[in-house]
Formats: sequence, C-alpha cells, structure tokens
Amino acid sequence: MTLHADIDASKLPDYSYDFRSPLWWGIVGLMTVEGTVVATLIASFFYLQGNHTAWPPAGTSPPELLLPTLSTVVLLVSMVPVYLTDKAFKRGDPKPLAWMPLISIALALVFLGIKAYEYASHVDFRWDTHAYGSVVWLMIGFHSAHVIAVIFKTLVIVYLARRRYFTPEKRIAVTVNGLYWYFVAAAWIPLYMTIYLGSRIWS
Amino acid sequence: MTDSASIHHDDEETRQLERTWASPPGFFAWFTHVNQTNIGMRFIVTGFIFFILGVILALLMRLQLAVPENDFMDPETYNQVFSMHGITMMFLFAIPVMEGFAVYIIPLMLGTRDMTFPRLNAFGYYIYLIAGVMMYAALLLRIAPDAGWFSYPPLAGASFSPGLGLDFYTTVVTFMEISALVAAIELIATIFKCKVPGMSLNRMPIFVWAVLVMSFMIVFALPPLVIASLMLALDRMAGMHFFTAASGDPILWQHLFWFFGHPEVYIIFIPALGMVSSIIITFTQRPIFGYIPIVLSIVAIGFIGFGLWVHHMFTAGLPQLGSNFFTASSAMIAIPSGVQIFCWIATLWGSKPKLATPLLHVLGFFLIFIIGGLSGVMVASVPFDMQAHDTYFVVAHFHYVLIGGAVFPLLGGLYYWYPKFTGRMMSERLGKVAFWVTFAGFNLTFFPMHKLGLEGMPRRVYTYLDGLGWNEANLFISISSAVFTLGLMLTLVNVLISLKRGNIAGDNPWNADTLEWATSSPPPSYNFRHIRTVDSRYPLWSGTGGLEQNPVVTGIRSDRREILLTSILESHPEARQPLPGPSPWPFWLAVATAITFAGLMAHLAIPLLGFVLCFIAITGWVWPKRLGVAK
Ligand code: HEM
Ligand SMILES: [Cu+2]
Repeated sequence: MTLHADIDASKLPDYSYDFRSPLWWGIVGLMTVEGTVVATLIASFFYLQGNHTAWPPAGTSPPELLLPTLSTVVLLVSMVPVYLTDKAFKRGDPKPLAWMPLISIALALVFLGIKAYEYASHVDFRWDTHAYGSVVWLMIGFHSAHVIAVIFKTLVIVYLARRRYFTPEKRIAVTVNGLYWYFVAAAWIPLYMTIYLGSRIWS
Repeated sequence: MTDSASIHHDDEETRQLERTWASPPGFFAWFTHVNQTNIGMRFIVTGFIFFILGVILALLMRLQLAVPENDFMDPETYNQVFSMHGITMMFLFAIPVMEGFAVYIIPLMLGTRDMTFPRLNAFGYYIYLIAGVMMYAALLLRIAPDAGWFSYPPLAGASFSPGLGLDFYTTVVTFMEISALVAAIELIATIFKCKVPGMSLNRMPIFVWAVLVMSFMIVFALPPLVIASLMLALDRMAGMHFFTAASGDPILWQHLFWFFGHPEVYIIFIPALGMVSSIIITFTQRPIFGYIPIVLSIVAIGFIGFGLWVHHMFTAGLPQLGSNFFTASSAMIAIPSGVQIFCWIATLWGSKPKLATPLLHVLGFFLIFIIGGLSGVMVASVPFDMQAHDTYFVVAHFHYVLIGGAVFPLLGGLYYWYPKFTGRMMSERLGKVAFWVTFAGFNLTFFPMHKLGLEGMPRRVYTYLDGLGWNEANLFISISSAVFTLGLMLTLVNVLISLKRGNIAGDNPWNADTLEWATSSPPPSYNFRHIRTVDSRYPLWSGTGGLEQNPVVTGIRSDRREILLTSILESHPEARQPLPGPSPWPFWLAVATAITFAGLMAHLAIPLLGFVLCFIAITGWVWPKRLGVAK
C-alpha cells in the first residue's frame, strides 16, 4: 500500500513556547482553578460580613495596616527578579537564572516572616474565635501555603539551572514557573484588599 | 509538498512504535502505566463498578421502603445508605465515568497518540480510586457519612454529627475533586493543542465540543466545592466558624454547594449530549442538522448552568427579586436544550435510521428527558417548589433528569464504543431486550414517585406509617426497581459475555464518521500508525474517497513518545512534543495527597507531613531523567 507523505513533521521543532505549549495551557488552567478559589474565599468573607452588625465582630480590632502593606510591597517587588530572569533567558542569556530567582525567594521569605510575626503576636483573634477569624486565617493559610510551594518550586529550577539543565529550548519550564510566581503574588492583592481594607469599611 | 514520494508500511517502524508506547507488564508495573487508553479504561471500569455499588445501595433502600414500618434497616444505617447512594452516584460514578469516556475517546477523535500530560492523567485516576475505596471502607465499618450527599450544616456540623462519618465526607470530597480538576485541565489542553492537522475548531466533532464545555464547567464549578468542604472540615476539626450558627452561616454552605451542585448536573449531562449527537450521526448515516446551533447551545448551556444554583434554595428564604431572577434563568435553560432536540429530530427526520441498541437508548433518553424537563420547569417555579420541596416529587424529578439525561446516553455510548474498546460487538438481541427491560423498569420505578410526592411523602425518611395511603405505591416502586436492575444486569451480562463471544468488530463496524474508527479495535498503544490530515467534519465519509486518500504526517519520531502539536483555531502543525513514559510517581503523589487530606481526620499535624511528602513526590516526578544519568 502506498501513501502520500505531505507534511514532514521532522522539520518542526520539538519544543514550543507560551500559548503554543500545552504546559502553558496547563498552568493557565491551574491558575484559573486557584483564581476561582480566591474568588470563593473573598465572596465568603463578604457573605459572612453581611450577617454581622460589626465586621470584624465586636471585641476584635481591625488589623493594623502598616506591616501588611509593607509586606505586600515586598511580595510585589519579588516579581521583578523573576521577570528579569525570564526576559534574559528569552534573549538567550541563561546566567541570571542561576542566581536572580534567589533574590525573589529571599523577598518571599521576608513576606512570610512578616506574616508569621503579624499573626503570632499582632492580631487579637484566633481562627476559632468567630467567623471573621476563620475566614481571615483560611485566606492567610491558603496564600502562605502557595508562597511556600512556589519557593520550593523555584529552588528546584535554580538547582537544575546550576546543573546546566536548561537549554533555551526548555525555557518553557522557566516561563511557566515565572507565571506561577506572578500568580501567587498577584493573588495576594485582592486578598490584601479584602482582609485589610475590607475589614475597615464596617468597623 | 516537497517530494510526494510514496512511503510504505514500514514494519520495522511499527515494531519500534510498539516498543516505544508499550505499557510494561506485571503487577507492580501496573502502577506506572500512563497511556491514555489504559487510564481512560480504568476510569470507565472503576466508574461502572461504583455504579453497581450505588445501585445495590438503592435496592437496599427500596427493600426497606417496600412496606410501612419496616425494620430491615435501622435509621442510622438507612441514613448512611442513602447518603452513600447519592455520593456514589454523583461523585464516584457520574463524573468519573464521563471523564473516562472522554479520556479514552477524545485523543482518538482528535487523531493524536496520547494526551498532553499523561502522568497527570494517571495521578487523577489514583486519587479517585483511593477516595472511592476510603468511602466504601467507611461504609463497611458503619462510619460512612449520613447527612445526605449535600450534607447541609448545621446537621453536618460537629455538634449534630459527631463521629467520623462527616469527616470522611469533607476530606474525601475535598481531595477527590482534585481528580476531576486535573482531568479537566488536561482535556482542555489536549483539545486545544492536539487536533490532527486540518481539524479546525469548526470541524471538531460535537462530542469533542461537549467535552470541552464540560471541562470548562469543571474548572469553574469544582473549586467552590473544594473550598466549601475544606471549610466544613475545618469547622468540624479545628473549631472554626464558617457554617456554625454561633457566628458563621449555614446558608453560606448551601450557596457554595449549589454553585457547584447545579452545574454538576450539566457537567454530567453535556458529555451525554455529545454522545447522543455522535450516535445520531452514525445511525442516520448523515451529517448532523444544524452543527453550529448545536455547538452554540452546548456552550450556552454551559454558561446558563452557572446562573441557576439558587433554585435549590427557594425554600431557604431569599429576597423576592432574587427568586424571580433564578426562576427566569431556570426557565431559560429550556431554550438551548430545545434547540438541540429540534436539530436531532431534524436529523432523524426521514432518514430511515438504523434502530440498533445505541440509537434505542438515545430514543429512550428523549422520552425520559422530556418528562424530567417538564417536572423541572414545574419545580423551577417558586410557588410549586414550596409545595413539592423535599418530597418524592423531587426524587422522581432528579432521577428522570439524571438517569434519563446521563445514564441512558451513557449506556448508548457503551454499546456504541464497546467494539472500539474491545474489538468485539455486543449482542444486539440481548441488547434490545436489556433496553426494553431497563426502560420499562425505570419508568415503573420513578414515575409513581411523582404521585407519592404530590401525596406528601417526604424524601429521606427511613420508613413511613401504615394507613397514609402510600403502601401500594411504595411496594410497586420497590418491585419495579428490581425490574430496572434486571435490565441493567442484562447489559452487564452482555458486556461480560461479549468480551469472549462477541462478533469480531473490525475497525469501523457502524460505518461511523469520526477518527476513532480509523484505527484498529482496540486501538494499538500508539493509537494511530499514520497521522492523517482531515479536510471535513466527517473525515471518514469525506467526498474525496475517505481518509485513506488524505495526506499523512511523517517525521514524528517513533523511538520516543512524541505527539504533534497544532494551532488552536486552524490546526496548523506547530511543533512536536515529547511525552514522558511509564512512571511510578503519579501513584506516589496520589498516596501523599491522600495522606495529606485524610491525615486531617487523625491529627492536625499530619497534613504538614503530607505536604512534605507531596513535595518529594512532585520533585521525583519532574526530575529530569538525563540529569540523573549525567551524574
Ligand atoms: C437503580 C436505580 C436507582 C434507584 C432505585 C434509586 C433510588 C433512590 C432512592 C430511593 C433515593 C432516596 C430518596 C430519598 O429518600 O431522598 C435516592 C436518592 C438519590 N439518588 Fe437514586 N436511585 C437510583 C439510581 C440513581 C442514579 C443513577 C443516580 C445519579 C446518577 C442517583 C442519584 C441520587 C441522588 C443524588 C440521591 C439523593 C441522595 C440524598 O438525598 O442525599 N440515583 N435514589
Ligand atoms: Cu439545579
């Protein structure tokens, strides 16, 4: 039997970038799922608020603004090295990959440190005090777990980069990790606004 | 293009493909398989096993309800049984089975060799399996959830439901949904990127469209459920206050649950619609009437499905305007459903359809679904719902919708694709008998429930008093449910016998139009020996002499697993994508995930350990092979 051979795929690359890559779609899917989770948490926050005359409930003071605002800025700045790394790598320069993300990791650790300090000694409610405490602690816990996860993920990337695993064809893994970092940082903004600004509207 | 040089069937290359894509044999190797046909089949088989278990629980319920004041089961057992029946049917049967069909069929319909993330696929399966086994272990130990499949707090909260039952519910539901989410993301990526060249979006088979819409619905509907069940778990185990009467709000659970729960019905129903379209096209042997209206109405159902959840809560006390809005949107869903039915009828009209078993099931679906739709329009109106809420009328309604809308098309799909799965035909004669028994048994079981409901029999009662005038109907329903089950068993027998005795099917026994029929039955591990381009919506029927005449894609490597990536809209070839082979890590990650969530039940610190285990498993998973060798 004979067949017509009309498309020769061997000339196509065996890697793909950005929205041409399934991995990109995979991570976008993951971010959509988690974005829906964030939206659900925020909706629950305001739903529960509607049941209370004061929010946070009487006896609880709304969280202070200074520390969390500071930590938010730190987290947002942590996106910059990730961005520069990705950009350099797209230009074909792999060197920053071996160290620049470590700056981001350090910043993320500062963010986590501030959070830990804040919730260990600066808020006067626990997760089981009232609905407000529950939803705030869940938001903080959810987000912190993501920060920790993305730190670990980035460490693996840096380690592999130092072992010279990433050739420019494999840069999609770096791009995708960067995307996830932006996501984790960006998801904090609505959470921050909800917890710290949203709590002040009704108090 | 360059050299239209003819290529020959190269036996050496076929053997190479076989070696590359083989799933290693042996018990332990079973846990490493990643091929989409393997994983899809596991989802299907496991899903049907849970279906059988769910039916057994239903029969136990009907045994208990056959006569008044029966003491076959005590109330506690009955509560566990009916809760587990609902949980099984909704979480362990319907979604996974639909996903199983999608995972098996979709890559074949797209003409590709596998899905984009094969190991993720396997991971999703193990999560599902572990979750299901845990639930049934709980039932055997008599510590299963007992507050219904939607487990409303405060009943489901710690003070009214102490004990482990609801803990199983919250933790297992939370982590089981990961399985559906993973499969959904994977299906979206595969449908976007792996269509064979020439299969532009407007040539995609309708089943593929349906699965795409289903996957998007999963992505938006399941996260709220995951979070809600996590919140309930935290309420119960960490003394939090999301749904407690003290400071939280039980109604919040209802909102979150039904924001998932209503789309869930469409998540089951939409792929079933896709199956119906496939079957109608094949058995009328003509292109579908109104491809574009059908696709648009599938998409519309996907959207409207999210605007309906509150109709489950009319009796919970809502602002008047809110109720009106949700009544209106509940009625609106009838429009796209109607469009599809008219397109199907138009296709069937004057076509001399071949009345084989798959089509019979589709016709059965029409009838049942119309009745279910009518009673749905009734309960969508607030005043009527006030009356019928929590009676057997509702039980009748949702079984008409779920069994009519999902199980009948699914059985049709089973008869239809069985030859592809196994290489053999199911018996037509037995199939027809089975259909009629199932169809009759179904209606005899559930139609009288409408009447019982209007007469006031509440749902979720373990027994009822003598002398209320419900005795005959209940006994009749219980006997009918045995008839219904007999019909289902005939299909099961047919499945089992045909495995060995069925007629050999050949590649395309129904003369169908889509690509899964263009390879051998069952498909080889690499799905297609030649990746062929398509130039129409019905590639196996296309006017130019069928698929055989179409150009072939060469140059996809056969010495490693590789698939072709194409552009989303037009399906132009873009790249090749190497795929990972068998791996044990998906299994270990699933185990670690299960420990993380289930550990919550034992101690709040175990999830921390689980988190670390998950991280180890993920690292093992993504760790590049080459690096290890280089060392
Ligand atoms: C042999 C077939 C079946 C029989 C005889 C049957 C019978 C029943 C009965 C007696 C109930 C309890 C009603 C109550 O007291 O509230 C029930 C509940 C339910 N059934 Fe079925 N059923 C069958 C199949 C199915 C299927 C295929 C599905 C879904 C795909 C399903 C989904 C449900 C759900 C979601 C509930 C509600 C459980 C709850 O209240 O938590 N059933 N069924
Ligand atoms: Cu609904």
